[in-house]
Amino acid sequence: MKRRFLFICAVAAVPVGLLGWQEASAIKFEEIGKKAGVQFRHHTRIFSGPHADVLRMFTSGGASAAAGDFDGDGLDDLFITDSDKGTLNRLFRNNGNMTFTDVTDKAGVAGGNEPNTIVADALWFDYDNDGKEDLLVARFGTPLLYHNEGSGKFKDVSKATGISRFGNTIAVVAFDYDNDGWLDIMLGNYFKSVNLLEGKDDHVLPNDLDNAINGGGVTLWHNNHNGSFTDVTSKAGFDKHTGWTLDIGHADLNNDGLQDVYLACDYGTDRIYFNNGDGTFRDATEKAIGTDTRKGMNVDIADYDNDGWFDIYVTNITDEYMKECNMLWHNNHDGTFTDVSKETNTCATLWGWAAKFGDYDNDGWQDLFVVNGLRSGSKDNYIPVLLDMITKPGVDFTDVRNWPNIGEMTWSGYQKKKFLHNLGGETFKEISGQAGVDNEADGRGLAISDFDGDGKLDIYQANADQNSLFYRNLSTGVGNWTQIDLRGTKSNRDAIGARITVVSGGRSQIQEVNGDNGYAGQSSHVAHFGIGKTAKIDEIQVKWPSGMTTKVPAPPMNKKLKIVEGQGLVAN
Amino acid sequence: MRILAILLAAASAAMAESAAFEAAEKAFSAKDYGTALAQYETAIKAEPDNMRYASQYRMAVLAQAKALHPKEGTPADYDRSIKFFETLTAEHPAAAVAQLNLGFAHVDKMPAAGAITQVITANTALGFFTKSIDARPTWLGYYTRGNSYLFWPKIFNRAQLGVNDLEAAYKMQKTGPNKPYYIRAYISLGDGYWKTDQLDRAKALWKEGLALFPNSAALKDRLAKDGDDLKAVIEDTLDPNKRVDTDLKELWSNP
Repeated sequence: MKRRFLFICAVAAVPVGLLGWQEASAIKFEEIGKKAGVQFRHHTRIFSGPHADVLRMFTSGGASAAAGDFDGDGLDDLFITDSDKGTLNRLFRNNGNMTFTDVTDKAGVAGGNEPNTIVADALWFDYDNDGKEDLLVARFGTPLLYHNEGSGKFKDVSKATGISRFGNTIAVVAFDYDNDGWLDIMLGNYFKSVNLLEGKDDHVLPNDLDNAINGGGVTLWHNNHNGSFTDVTSKAGFDKHTGWTLDIGHADLNNDGLQDVYLACDYGTDRIYFNNGDGTFRDATEKAIGTDTRKGMNVDIADYDNDGWFDIYVTNITDEYMKECNMLWHNNHDGTFTDVSKETNTCATLWGWAAKFGDYDNDGWQDLFVVNGLRSGSKDNYIPVLLDMITKPGVDFTDVRNWPNIGEMTWSGYQKKKFLHNLGGETFKEISGQAGVDNEADGRGLAISDFDGDGKLDIYQANADQNSLFYRNLSTGVGNWTQIDLRGTKSNRDAIGARITVVSGGRSQIQEVNGDNGYAGQSSHVAHFGIGKTAKIDEIQVKWPSGMTTKVPAPPMNKKLKIVEGQGLVAN
Repeated sequence: MRILAILLAAASAAMAESAAFEAAEKAFSAKDYGTALAQYETAIKAEPDNMRYASQYRMAVLAQAKALHPKEGTPADYDRSIKFFETLTAEHPAAAVAQLNLGFAHVDKMPAAGAITQVITANTALGFFTKSIDARPTWLGYYTRGNSYLFWPKIFNRAQLGVNDLEAAYKMQKTGPNKPYYIRAYISLGDGYWKTDQLDRAKALWKEGLALFPNSAALKDRLAKDGDDLKAVIEDTLDPNKRVDTDLKELWSNP
């Protein structure tokens, strides 16, 4: 009741013109993947042996997309992953006119799908603060790290990183957990640490389908400032987590200036860790969010109601046969969160994968695009077959031999994607069909960026075993905007973890630069703010990870701004 | 003399069982769940087919679970009653009410469990409802199993099985005087007809039910709605995430 009252007060303070304009904007996208030269077909890994079918089904992720400006031309490029043996990842250079050029061969970043490794995710980050975006390719195996040598070339420096610990890594984020000015790496691991491709262990699947504790957990790697990383998982307090990590999200969730971590876990309890500020984290799950039994697939973090505190969106599975509901964790400002997904109409998005916040119509409120769908196959449905197995008394779920083959059957397939328009921070309205993004592909990762620099966020959607989709934002009647590209000097160069506050029209919006929140997809490091019909921006404030603060009064609107730590606004 | 001794012993056992039940009820009212559960178990062991004892026992387990943990308790909070009825039914396999309550104990656990565990638990409960019917076919057995089938999504093709059971319950209730709880069969069987795409039969049955139970809001609501509105009402009724009321007070207080 209190929240509703506050909302009504906030609405009363918003200029009438803004609310009237909200109704007038029309969110619309056009799929241009082929025309733009970035249509890419993903292939899941095909296993060998008697249980190849089951293992392929359980590892059907890996279709990821990472947006990042590797050549420093001010336009986000795209790195797209493949997963089957011998298939090649692709690097597409943004030509600036909504076309892209495949520059993979010159860059030398195609590899990773070896006979005993599977590519699953990718991350652009400047690990050595040299001003050029480097590329990390996460794998079921050990990660690959490519150093950006400039001139469109990369060098494989994986061996020098010291990250030699095997993991079935499906998620990666880079953030500076100790605020020392260098980006650290957290890897989210799905299966326990055995190589599935070797087929030596049949007991690799979840020990419980709602409360599994035999997954791969996470590992945290501290940046040694010399190209190598040290495993600090145990020291930082993450070693007790043994869940099936599917995604990692980081942000300052309790406004104490430190980066906290949310882990979305399949087959059981999501975890939230608050940063103690001394290189360690505390597991605050029970008090902050309680114990859940859902299938956490994705974490994205934004302040959806513009109250100055970050909220968390987690996709789960909601389908005819399993009604879990997603979680929109509203931040209660006291270290606890309340799930408001039902109240906000963000609960049911079918078999969820990536979901990304973004103000797609520049009205000053963060919308959501959610992809879904596990496997679209024949008209035969796998669920009744699966029921026979899971209801067998005493069945050992961990044993891959007990799981029936799926063959060509469909399992939560042909699902329409969900575009949820934020209506003033109080609720969301599904407008997928109207927006033109209600495709039925088996979605996985999302990369969001204003790829053509027109002030509207575009969407790249990676799909498992299918062609990707690339949506150009053609919305009309949208609001004003600002885009902020930060450069750390004392802080990490990518400014990951920097908090930006945009004050305009009597209200504030916050965002932080993140290092790959959201399942299998990295969005732009450039922060995009819609500011509606408001005529001017009063101020932009940046709180850097170093503790330094930059204020830019009355900046120009509808432009991409570059702000450098210690210097303020500089020419692009 | 020997007959008298047997009668005295039986009377003494009945008194002890009754005393245990009274003590359980008193402790339950006082929220002394530990004492209540132990006393209920003593009473039920003496009379495995006593519906009131079994139902009150499960309600005490449920109250304790909610008192111990927020919302619906944890799955482990319900294991005591499941284990108790498992042992009881192993010793008394023909005790139809005990079998039924073992099924209900699983149903009671469901809201505290995860989505997949709910499916497994619901399937397990169905097995005990079947054992109850096998031991002694009753209105409650058919109604319970039939209604349970309706909760399963269409993809599992169990709605017709539900209709079959609910029709059996409906036939049974037509053979004797009307009882307040018979309205449940009218609602559920109609829902079953709706779920098996027999809307006309559903409406006809709900009308018949309304004639017998003219104050029924559930029947009026169904008869007043069509299309998506009716679908919403029935899907809300059969929402697996909502706790199913398994309190049998209505039955044991209207024998």
